[in-house]
Amino acid sequence: MLVLESIKLAFSAIRINKMRSFLTMLGIIIGISSVIAITSIGSSIQSVVDKQFASIGSTYMYVYPDWYMLDDGVVSQSDLFSEDEIRGLKEAYPEMIDYAVPYGYSSSDSRVGRTQASFSLMGVGDGYDVVSNMHITYGRMINENDVKSQKPRIVIDETAAQRLFGKTNAVGESLPLTIDGVANDYTVVGIYYVEPSIFTPVSTDNQFSAYIPYSLIPSMVHSCSNIEIYYASGYDAKTAGDTICRYLERVKDKEEGFYTYDSVEQQQGMMNEILGTISLAIGAIAAISLLVGGIGIMNIMLVSVTERTREIGTRKALGARTGDILFQFLIESMIISAIGGIIGTLLGLGTAAVGMKLVGVDFAVNPLVILLAVGFSAVVGMFFGIYPARKAAGLDPIEALRYE
Amino acid sequence: MNEIIRLEQLKKTYRSGAIQVEALKGIDLTVNQGEYVAIMGASGSGKSTLMNILGCLDRPTGGRYYLGGHDISCQSDSQLSRIRNRMIGFVFQSFNLIPRTSALKNVELPMIYARIPPRERSRRAAALLEKVGLGDRLEHMPNEVSGGQKQRIAIARALANRPPIILADEPTGNLDSRSSVEIMELFSGLNRKEGNTVIIVTHEPDIAQFTDRIITFRDGAIISDRKVDRDHPPAASKVAAAAAGREGV
Repeated sequence: MLVLESIKLAFSAIRINKMRSFLTMLGIIIGISSVIAITSIGSSIQSVVDKQFASIGSTYMYVYPDWYMLDDGVVSQSDLFSEDEIRGLKEAYPEMIDYAVPYGYSSSDSRVGRTQASFSLMGVGDGYDVVSNMHITYGRMINENDVKSQKPRIVIDETAAQRLFGKTNAVGESLPLTIDGVANDYTVVGIYYVEPSIFTPVSTDNQFSAYIPYSLIPSMVHSCSNIEIYYASGYDAKTAGDTICRYLERVKDKEEGFYTYDSVEQQQGMMNEILGTISLAIGAIAAISLLVGGIGIMNIMLVSVTERTREIGTRKALGARTGDILFQFLIESMIISAIGGIIGTLLGLGTAAVGMKLVGVDFAVNPLVILLAVGFSAVVGMFFGIYPARKAAGLDPIEALRYE
Repeated sequence: MNEIIRLEQLKKTYRSGAIQVEALKGIDLTVNQGEYVAIMGASGSGKSTLMNILGCLDRPTGGRYYLGGHDISCQSDSQLSRIRNRMIGFVFQSFNLIPRTSALKNVELPMIYARIPPRERSRRAAALLEKVGLGDRLEHMPNEVSGGQKQRIAIARALANRPPIILADEPTGNLDSRSSVEIMELFSGLNRKEGNTVIIVTHEPDIAQFTDRIITFRDGAIISDRKVDRDHPPAASKVAAAAAGREGV
């Protein structure tokens, strides 16, 4: 095979018909760049989602009575968990359970001076900052003493501190909140920091998240339906969840399967699956434009073969074999397609990078996708080049030489 | 002298539907190495068909064609390509240079298919262009030179792989009389000085007069095969006049 000669010839043919070659490449460029952009955006979002889950704490789960197991779908008092039962659970598996508290959530409006704000309040226990990888910048997190003494203590984030008190270090300040109809002044004991991400609510609406001792959310303490758990990192969600549920069923004299759990690990797996499916589906649609691009290449190569009929005849008369001609045209369509693939890859990466920059997400690229895209474009070029090349190679030299 | 071409009862029949056309009706012909031959005949006489078969572009439907001792009738397509490449130098009426490709690259073409290394290729191509008087036109594109110069490039290309036979199909058909004479003189030189076997297909008698042997076709058969009598050229014609004019200058 005349590899080097065919490549040189292909480049000179592309150079001679610059505009035509570019327009032909355009189909491939659009196809490849959209595939690359979509998969890159997909993997960027995926990494954000992973990060987000990691910030909740990837070993988080909560346990609750399985609604399908309840009589008439009504929760009875005996199905719920008391504080002592939760403590007992943690003591039964000290190796496996890092953190277990009754799930407590509330919300309250607040006003400091002229500034109005509304707070989502998470009830937490001792050690929550450690298991959930919280970043405390000033003061401290809620501790065991706060929970036991039921003192009104609160940990707010830097943005809220800045908005309400005009400073990030607002430790010691007082914040009026009303929980379950009980008004109280909460003392700020700590400030935490969250890195902004696309999932962070826009803080212009004065909506903030804060942490208080779970014991201060009265409706939850004695009879909560959900337990928040962080299991040790050496365990997987299924082992931990099953062990905990079976333990609770024994203690509370319930049939097996009465309690169930949801975990970050499962959620993350599901989310990744959904994201992956969406990327794949959109990518597949984009890949159709590759097909269209391939047909464009076939079309222009057929035109080229017709235009160069005499040249092909001459080459054959001068000793070119059928294979030489076939190879020459095949290489030409492959090179057109591969150049389109390279330009498309760069364009797609650029588009994705700019787009991700705009929404403030770190750009992540899967190098395998790039390799696949360029390789695939060359394959497209070869596939759609076969027919024109065969047509060229099969020309009868006598007819071709006579062609006007 | 060694025979280079021998045709034995060579036949070529074209079939189109129910109609059969006998383009060549059993030709017997021998051409020796170093001969300078013109093949003449009106259009439809079978001379183009013979040319295609001699050039290994087409296969006969009957009889035998021996080229340099090889039986051409039973070669595969790729063997025929190889034979065309090594044994035959083609010169066409319409030049058939590759457009937008320099004279040098055009001359290199047959050597590419002979897998000759690039350095050797361009060295030889330059020498050949020098030989046909275009040493100063190496990088010119075909559309930048005159018709006569195009044909010179084509002749240089025909000589690239040093083939034993030069096969020219109406080489002066697209040229003015002055260029025609120059091209014919080039062929004569190649034949007399270099010893190339040159076969020229033409319908112009005064072009045929440059050769040593004229074979005339009619209706797919040879009707005459005679030596050229240089002492008594035929009546004045445009080319002969031009040639005489040149000699006078």
